[in-house]
Amino acid sequence: MAKYLVWSLACVLALAATAFAEEAITIGLLSDLSGPTSAVGAPYSEGIKDAAKYINENGGIAGKKVNLVEVDYAYNAQQALAAYKRFISQDKIVALQGWGTQDTEALTKFVGKDQIPTLSASYSAHLTDPEKAPYNFFVAADYTTQIRAALKYFKDNWKKSEAPKVAFVYPDHPYGLAPIAGAKEYAKELGFEIVGDENVALNAMDAMAQLLRLQKLAPDYVWIGGTTPSAAIIMKDAQKLGFNTTFFCNIWGVDESLVKLAGDAANGTYSLQTAVVYGQKVPGMAAIEKMTGGTPKMTHYIRGFASMLVMAEGLKIAAAKGELTGPAIKEALETLRDFDPMGLTPPISFFPNDHRPNMSVFIYKVEDGKMVEVAKESLERKAEWLGK
Amino acid sequence: MHGQCGLFFRTYAGEARIFPSRFLLVSMGLFGAVLCLAPLAMNNYLVSVLCLINIAVIGAVSLNLLTGFCGQISLGHGAFFGVGAYAAAYLASLGLPFLAVLPAAGLVTAAVGMFFGLPSLRLKGIYLAIATLAAQLILEYVFLHWDAVTGGSSGMAVDPPQVLGLAFDSDVKMFYLTLAVATLSVLCVRNIMRTRLGRAFVAIRDHHLSAEIVGVDLFAYKLRAFGISSFLAGAGGALWAYYTMYITPEQFGIGLSVSYLAMIIIGGLGSVLGGVFGAVFITVLPEFLNFVAQHAGALFTDISGALLAMKEGVFGLVLVLFLIFEPEGLAHRWRLVKAYWKLYPFAH
Repeated sequence: MAKYLVWSLACVLALAATAFAEEAITIGLLSDLSGPTSAVGAPYSEGIKDAAKYINENGGIAGKKVNLVEVDYAYNAQQALAAYKRFISQDKIVALQGWGTQDTEALTKFVGKDQIPTLSASYSAHLTDPEKAPYNFFVAADYTTQIRAALKYFKDNWKKSEAPKVAFVYPDHPYGLAPIAGAKEYAKELGFEIVGDENVALNAMDAMAQLLRLQKLAPDYVWIGGTTPSAAIIMKDAQKLGFNTTFFCNIWGVDESLVKLAGDAANGTYSLQTAVVYGQKVPGMAAIEKMTGGTPKMTHYIRGFASMLVMAEGLKIAAAKGELTGPAIKEALETLRDFDPMGLTPPISFFPNDHRPNMSVFIYKVEDGKMVEVAKESLERKAEWLGK
Repeated sequence: MHGQCGLFFRTYAGEARIFPSRFLLVSMGLFGAVLCLAPLAMNNYLVSVLCLINIAVIGAVSLNLLTGFCGQISLGHGAFFGVGAYAAAYLASLGLPFLAVLPAAGLVTAAVGMFFGLPSLRLKGIYLAIATLAAQLILEYVFLHWDAVTGGSSGMAVDPPQVLGLAFDSDVKMFYLTLAVATLSVLCVRNIMRTRLGRAFVAIRDHHLSAEIVGVDLFAYKLRAFGISSFLAGAGGALWAYYTMYITPEQFGIGLSVSYLAMIIIGGLGSVLGGVFGAVFITVLPEFLNFVAQHAGALFTDISGALLAMKEGVFGLVLVLFLIFEPEGLAHRWRLVKAYWKLYPFAH
């Protein structure tokens, strides 16, 4: 008798489980929690998970809950591929939250073929061209747009009569190289004098040789395209050499951990961000502070949060129109016009032939170990910049 | 069915047969049949893991030929794999059909592999390992900077392969394609090891001076080992490019080379079967750990995050434990299991 009871209970539970599964909207989440980019990957994925929780607590999407299925792929293309196949065939996901260059690019063709809208944190400009990557989206201005915005800001605030000199320091790596050609072209157009290029690897232990060469060229501005550890090395070595210049760093080069790594040397560095920092007065911050119990989070967390909010908006529009399918969600995302993810990022718009979310970049400056907002620079959405 | 409880070969040819007993032939046939039917009972995820295993088998068996049989350590195998992938992507973009691209990618990689194998005349052991590491770094640089051919940092897109008008655009179809190439590679290496060429490789590995004294031209044979091994790696890389449909320089980093070395060490150096076992083990282990993390997470929600983050550590730990308790690899354990059942119940 007891055996039958157990069996029938198990059946009821199984039915309940499937019923729940039908009610939920399943989204795949590829995170790097243990691989080389985990220092920033873990807070980003935490932001996504907290945003999903926030959405579920506030009525979900068309009455359904968002169900995130997370896989830690350790920044390995092969594991990302296997995880993606599992998402598609077992979990039946309708959309994907991806992470870095390695997984996003390895999956570009797959998500296009399987029609899975993907939001990721790989901001290479070539992913914004729907002809090449029809199902890829992200919520930050691409890497090249970020540099362009900073160059424009510096040029607008340039008081001297001679042309400002700019140099580029970046790792010889797909991520470091991606924006350089476009940035140089724009720098020339604005009237900058490009004085030099140097390579500093992501895992560099020192950058003295490169900085000594650069110091002789006396650039007014130096772009650092790396991650916080390499950016910190460059800043500390520059301080030791007494190299007086203005550094500006891309989105992965400055965050809350830079000050701990570089100390005083970080002061005066400009940081290009596409989301607000923790504690800034925007409508969404109250929700985030409530979710996190007031414990400060990195800016990557906030971008993850915003990425999930934007995806949720696409899901809501698609759900209101009918069935939640990949093409419907993609179409819904492409109707977004100046959608505001609670002030966490500049307004987001996607177009069927242009997946650049916006052309706006927040420019922060590190002052006394804190990131202080100094400007918001918006560029024109020029067609010739798409994908470059 | 009775197996012989000892070696009773009466001819050299008999000893060198691929399937020395009918039992083995039949069981391998059955295994092949089960493998071919497997996708019918599997979802796409499991089939895709099988595809990844097939591709890894090609890489591991080819590295085992070079390192396990010929004793030439290579830390550049991941990059050779990449050369195959880029060669395939480039040739396919020129409009060449798959059946021409696959061997051509292999030939291009063989040429590159032999070029980087040139120092093997002068260098041995750890020195050669560093020379091949240099190959890895140089090739990675080429992938990233030869924009006109490799697409630079943006990478290259590849369309699914077509053979005689049939497009291999699903996991199941790719499974049969990769299985066919993997089987051919395994048979090819197995057969090479039965020939003069294979015996020369083993002689070089065991003692290069003795090998030279019995008439093995060290340089020529070492180069051949590099050539054949890179050819197969190139074919594997080509399949990887066709399977993922998008390749970037990051995919062929030093991590891939190390993972192939791990495969042959865990599977068993100097054994064709070892390469296969190692490829299966290394490919399946992260999936298995993910599975455990996810299901443990469903039971104890709070620890799922911690388990996911510990995954890489567990992966490393498993490898270390393996090296301590099974230093001769899975192939050796397999031989012991076979021996045990052959003599059962009379163990002595």
